[in-house]
Amino acid sequence: MESFAQSVVSGVLTGSLYAMIAIGLTIVFGVMRIINLAHGDMVMLGMFGAYWSYTLWGIDPFLSVCIWAPLMFAGGMLVQRFLLKQVMPKGELNTLLYTAGLSLLIANVALFFWTGDYRTLNLDYAVMPARPFGISVPIPLAIAFVMAIAITTALYLLLSRTDVGRAMRATAQNAQSAALMGVDVGRIDMVTFGLGTALAAAAGVLLVPSLYLYPTVGEILIVKCFVIVVLGGLGSVPGAIAGGVLLGLVESLGAVYVSVAYKDTIGFVLFLLVLLFRPSGLFGVGKS
Amino acid sequence: MTRLLAAAGILVLVSAPLLTGNPFFQHLMIMVLFWTLLGASWNLLGGFAGQVSFGHAVFLGIGAYVTMLSYLSLGLSPFLGMLAGGAIGAMFAVPIGLICFRLRGPYFSLATLAVAEIVRLVALNWEQLTAGPMGLLITQLPPLSFAGATVDWESKIPFYYLAAALALSAMGLTHAVSRSRLGAYLTAVREDIDSAEAVGIDTVRARVTALALSAFIVGLAGGFYSLYFRYVDPDAVFAISLSVEMIFIAVVGGLATTAGPIVGAVVLVTIAEFFRDRFQAGHLIFYGLFMMLVIRYLPEGIWGGLRRLLAARA
Repeated sequence: MESFAQSVVSGVLTGSLYAMIAIGLTIVFGVMRIINLAHGDMVMLGMFGAYWSYTLWGIDPFLSVCIWAPLMFAGGMLVQRFLLKQVMPKGELNTLLYTAGLSLLIANVALFFWTGDYRTLNLDYAVMPARPFGISVPIPLAIAFVMAIAITTALYLLLSRTDVGRAMRATAQNAQSAALMGVDVGRIDMVTFGLGTALAAAAGVLLVPSLYLYPTVGEILIVKCFVIVVLGGLGSVPGAIAGGVLLGLVESLGAVYVSVAYKDTIGFVLFLLVLLFRPSGLFGVGKS
Repeated sequence: MTRLLAAAGILVLVSAPLLTGNPFFQHLMIMVLFWTLLGASWNLLGGFAGQVSFGHAVFLGIGAYVTMLSYLSLGLSPFLGMLAGGAIGAMFAVPIGLICFRLRGPYFSLATLAVAEIVRLVALNWEQLTAGPMGLLITQLPPLSFAGATVDWESKIPFYYLAAALALSAMGLTHAVSRSRLGAYLTAVREDIDSAEAVGIDTVRARVTALALSAFIVGLAGGFYSLYFRYVDPDAVFAISLSVEMIFIAVVGGLATTAGPIVGAVVLVTIAEFFRDRFQAGHLIFYGLFMMLVIRYLPEGIWGGLRRLLAARA
């Protein structure tokens, strides 16, 4: 029973960060119909950003979100404006291949400058896990969890309460009609891609104290992200949250009750099954 | 014109190893041919039928492991092993195709990615069969005589000719397919799958056939890989990056063309190998860069663009 509670806790903690990455991927898909293969590399850039600002200037990684998220927001807007915008009219598959190129470019530039070494960032206040009710909770992961919830809530408010959010949702529903209603779709695309990139980078920053970082870490993360957004329904934000937590739970419970070796396999099998039989996601809210 | 070009190409291919004894250049030429082989076979499905698979490493890994295991535990000749690897790869392609072809466009791509990852994880964990992450090692290849002379496996020359023969056959096959009824079906699938079905083409069958052919060649390439490097492990031969690099070679060279993959491989692999020789990491920078430039400015690829230029001249 204790190991069950333990797995649930760690599954939810990791899952919340997965969810945050996946929300970025899913809003970009929902609004722009782009499957962004470079999304995992944006997480990697966030991780390295936090690593360097801690190593060079001693800035606590959890504070450095305030630097890296806005910077990556601006970076994402520029990528959309000067790179993706010109390619989007060429169709979904070409855009997919284009982001594959972008992903390889980012990861290899990072490899070139930072080499493929595995790095870790150890916080002195986070060596020992907290132990409420006998369950071990790693402190960095707990802080990241709280911050992920705060950021996700802020995003939710942005999407539901503001004009920009309404314009984004309108564009997601039908870009042409949105344009006819006076929405500047080009600008909304830029904001959306900026937000997606910022979310990915922020999640990377929050993950840094809990994960190894290396330039190709994005490859694993993007694959997990696909599993999540397909489980939750591509384009759906609540779906991405549910899918993220679900994948976190499947991995941590699977490791205990099925096998450590095959915990990742369970996620992929689930992914294939959902893709084949419920292409709009487990909750039936996504776009198929 | 094209025939002349092809003949000249073959002549260069046959005589190239006589020009240099430098092992770096020999290795480079072998890698160019190896990637031509992979690019050409990926092109069969991805180029002609427009089905972008992100999971072709599955067949490479299967080919590599079948060749290794049949030699190490059954004592089968590695060349028979290669053929067996191709055949078993093609056998796996049928159920994989039947599952993944239920999906279209980017969803198909995601499904192939998932299949590839599942197979990689199984290979990593099924230690009785694959020795897991430890990998398998061939210490010595069996003696073989060819045209009265004993083949020297320590030299790169036999591998060069083997790779050249494989790459040429793959290009020959794609050329044959492009002129066949199957090729026409695949083009119809790429241009408009609903219309293709409406006129009575069994598109699932056409796509599965193309995938199986493609898997067979990739399986052979996997066998070649295992003999050339004499070592395989799941993260080397089932890696996502292999599937991705194949796509890049085919797209940058020219989708749905016979010569595209060799052009893509010459350009990309040469740059990457020189880069790798000079710097320690990041040798795929130019893969990414070329892909982005080609998609934006030259959607028919380098060879497609050159061909258009030549045609305009003539």
